[in-house]
Amino acid sequence: MNRYLYISGGAHALLFAWLLLGKVFSADPPEMQVADVTVLSEEDFALLTAPPVPDPVPAAETPVAPPPEPEPEPEPEPEPVPVPEPEPVPEPEPEPQPAPEPQPEPQPEPQPDPEPVPEPQPVPEPDPVPVPAPLPDPEPVPAPIAPQPAPVPTTRAPSASVRPQARPADRVASEPVAPPDPNTERAEERVEAVDPEADAPEVVEEERDPTAPPETATEIVPEGGPRFAPTESLRPQARTPRVAQAATPRPDPAPDAAPDPAGTPDPEPSAPDLPDVNADITSALADALSAAPPDAPAGPPMTRGEREALRLAVQACWIVDNGSEASNITVTVGMELDQDGRVVPGSLRMVGASEGSAAAVQTAFQAARRAVLRCEKGGYDLPAEKYEQWKEIEMTFNPDQMRLR
Amino acid sequence: MIARLAALVLACATAFLPVAVQAQSGPLRIEITEGVIEPLPYAVPDFVAETQAAEQFAAEISRVVAADLTGTGLFREIPRDAHIARVSSFGAPVQFADWKAINAQALITGSVSADASGRVVVKFRVWDVFAGQELGQGMQFASDASGWRRLAHKVADQVYSRLTGETPYFDSRVVFVSETGPKDARQKRLAIMDYDGANVQYLTDDSSLVLAPRFSPNGGRVLYTSYQTGFPRIRVLTVGDVASQTLQVGEGVMSFAPRFSPDGRMVVYSLTQGSNTDIYAMDLASGATRQLTSAPSIETAPSFSPDGQRIVFESDRSGTQQLYVMPAMGGEAQRISFGEGRYGTPVWSPRGDRIAFTKQNAGRFHIGVMRTDGSEERLLTASFLDEGPTWAPNGRVIMFSRETQGAQGSSALYSVDISGRNLKRVRTPAGASDPSWGPLQ
Repeated sequence: MNRYLYISGGAHALLFAWLLLGKVFSADPPEMQVADVTVLSEEDFALLTAPPVPDPVPAAETPVAPPPEPEPEPEPEPEPVPVPEPEPVPEPEPEPQPAPEPQPEPQPEPQPDPEPVPEPQPVPEPDPVPVPAPLPDPEPVPAPIAPQPAPVPTTRAPSASVRPQARPADRVASEPVAPPDPNTERAEERVEAVDPEADAPEVVEEERDPTAPPETATEIVPEGGPRFAPTESLRPQARTPRVAQAATPRPDPAPDAAPDPAGTPDPEPSAPDLPDVNADITSALADALSAAPPDAPAGPPMTRGEREALRLAVQACWIVDNGSEASNITVTVGMELDQDGRVVPGSLRMVGASEGSAAAVQTAFQAARRAVLRCEKGGYDLPAEKYEQWKEIEMTFNPDQMRLR
Repeated sequence: MIARLAALVLACATAFLPVAVQAQSGPLRIEITEGVIEPLPYAVPDFVAETQAAEQFAAEISRVVAADLTGTGLFREIPRDAHIARVSSFGAPVQFADWKAINAQALITGSVSADASGRVVVKFRVWDVFAGQELGQGMQFASDASGWRRLAHKVADQVYSRLTGETPYFDSRVVFVSETGPKDARQKRLAIMDYDGANVQYLTDDSSLVLAPRFSPNGGRVLYTSYQTGFPRIRVLTVGDVASQTLQVGEGVMSFAPRFSPDGRMVVYSLTQGSNTDIYAMDLASGATRQLTSAPSIETAPSFSPDGQRIVFESDRSGTQQLYVMPAMGGEAQRISFGEGRYGTPVWSPRGDRIAFTKQNAGRFHIGVMRTDGSEERLLTASFLDEGPTWAPNGRVIMFSRETQGAQGSSALYSVDISGRNLKRVRTPAGASDPSWGPLQ
C-alpha cells in the first residue's frame, strides 16, 4: 500500500508542480492599457469630434475653459475608490460635526427662555433651569452628510462615459449610499430608546439566525462540545449589535446565541492526540470569560473617531490660563449624560485632581466644568445606539502640554 | 492538523476578545490635553443704585471693575449693548439663560448705596453662568466717597480671585520716577499712583535727581537714591507724611540700589569704595551693617527671595554682567544666567518661583523671567530700551520702564503678563520710569 501511496503522492506532486510552475494558470497578458481614454469626458469628446466649429477668434477665452473641465473628472474617480474600501465613514462623520461649531449657539439658549424660574440669589443653584432645555438637534447633522455622497455618483455618471470606467462607478455609487444608512438608523434608534426594552430582543433574535448558524452548523453535528457552550457567549454579543445596528444594549441576547456557536470545537474528534490543545483552549476561553465582566455595558464600543469627536468638542471650550497655578492641576470630572447627550443636572462632579492648593484645584475644576457645560449646547453628538457606553463619562483635563515652561 | 489550526484560531479569537470587551467597561474615559488660550467672556451690567446719591458711583464703579478685569488680558467684557437681561434689583434672580445666550461665562452683579454722610457701600455677587451657580458668596465694602475707586478695585480683586484662584493685585499702588523735560535736562520726582495710573501724587519736588524707588513690604515706606548732595545717597521716605531721611552708611561713599528684606527690617544695597562695588546689608533698627560680597568686581542690584533666605544680584566677576544667587547672610554665590548678552536688575518673584531681569543682547533690551536656578529663561519683551522690572504682588504681572530712541525719546511704564501676553502701557500724566509695585492694600 505504501508503494501506491508514494506513487500516487509523487504523481500528484508532479502535477501540482507542473500546474504551479508550468504557467498553465499564468495571468492573461492581453489586458490593454486604456489609461488614455479615462481622462476624456463628454465635453472633451465633443470638443475633439467637432474641431471645425471652435474657430480662432476667441482663442484667449476658450483655452481657459476647457482645461478645468477635464481635470475635475479624474478627481472624482480616485475619491470614491478609496472611500468605499476602508469604509472610514464613521470617523469622518464625528470630526466634521464638532468642527463646524457654528451650530446655532443661540438656538439652545433662547429656548430655555421660559426658565425664569430660578430661585433666590443666594447659594441655591437653579441647575435644572439651564440644563433641561430639551431639544436634541441631531437631525441637521446627518442631513448635510447624506446629500454629499449622493451628488458624487451623479457627477460621475456623466464622466463615466468611457465604458471601462462604468463598472467602478456603479460599485462606488452603491457604497457611498451606505454611510447615510447608519445615520438614519441612529435616528430611529433614538426614538425607540424611549420605548420599552421588549422591542430590542426581538430584533436581535432575527439577526442571529442568519449569521450564527451558517458558520457553525456543519461542525456542530459531529461533536457537540457542551463544555465550551457558555464560554463563547461573548462572541455573538459583539457581532450582533454591529451587524444588526440594533440599539439593544442588553447582555441577555448574548447567552442565548452562545450555545449554538459552541459547536465549533470540532477539534475534539481528533482530540485524543492533542490533549494540550484542549487545555489551551479551555484556559484561553476561561481567560476570556473572566476578563469580561458579566455586567459590562452592552452595545458596540465607541470607535476612536467617536471618542475623538467628543474630545474635540469639549476642548474647544476649555479655556486654559497657562500662567496660573491652576494650569499645574490635572483634574478629572465625572458626569452622566442623558440620551440627548446632555449632562444630567447635578451629576457633574470632581472625581480627582493632582496636588495643588485648594484654590488652584477649585479653579481647575471650574474651568473644566465650564468647558463641559458650555460646549454641550443642544447635547453632545454621540451615537445613540451606544448610549450604554457613554451615559457615564469621566473626562480628564490635563494642561501639561499648555503650561508655561 | 485541522484540529491544531482550529484550536489556534479559536485561541487567538478568544485572546483578543477580552480586549475589545474590557475596553468599554466602566465609564467612558476621555483625556483632554489641549484647550484654548483666550480671554474668558464675562458681563458686568451697571451696578444697581439703591439711592439717588449712589447713581454716579454705581456706573463708575462697575466701569472700573470691568477695566481691572479686562486689563489683565484674561477676561473679555461682553459689551453692555449686547446684554439681553436687565438687572434692576440686586436681589432679583439671575436669568442664566439670557446670559448664556450671549456666551457670558461669568456674571458680576452689584449694587451701590450712598448715605447723606458720604459713606458709600458696594455689594456684589459673582456667578458661574453655565453652571448656574454663585461663585463664593456675596460681599460688601464700604468707604467714604473719595475712596470709591478703591472700592471698585476691591470688588475686582474678589472677582479675579474667584475666577482665577490666585491672589489679586488691583488694590495696590506703584511708586515711580515721574520725568518731565528734555532728555538732557530732565527733571525727576518721586510719585505714587494706583496700579492703573490713577490718583498720582508726588512725594518729592524736582529740585534734585532721584532714582530707583523701592516700596517696603508693607507699603508704608519707600527707599530711593537721591542726588540731593550731588552724590548718590540712599534715603528712606515715609509715605504717610512724606518725611524722609538719609540712610547712614558712611561718609564719602556712594550708596545705591537699595531694597528691603521681606520682613522690612533690613536693607540691602550697593556701596562703592574706590573702584570696587560690593553688596552690604543694614539692620534698620540698630544701624549695623554687614558686607555680603567681597569680590574685586562690581556686585549690585541685590534682591531678596520672598522667604528671606537668599539674595539674587548681578556681577561682572566672570567678565560679563551675569546673575548670581547667594545666601542672605553672604557666602558663596552661584551663577544662574548663562545665555548670551548681559543680565541685570534681577528681582525675585513674590511667588518665589521665578526671577525677572533685564537682558541686553545684540543691541536690544529685553525683560525676561527664569527659574531661580536659571532654567526656563523666557524673554517677554524686546525694544530699544526696556529695564527695571517689578512684580505685581501676586507674581503674575511685571511692570517695567521703556524708553524710546532719540533726543526726543521719552520713558513710559508698561506691564506684561508673565506669559508674555497682554503687553500694554500704563497711563501716567508725564514720562515715567523705575516703577516699584507695592503690596496689596
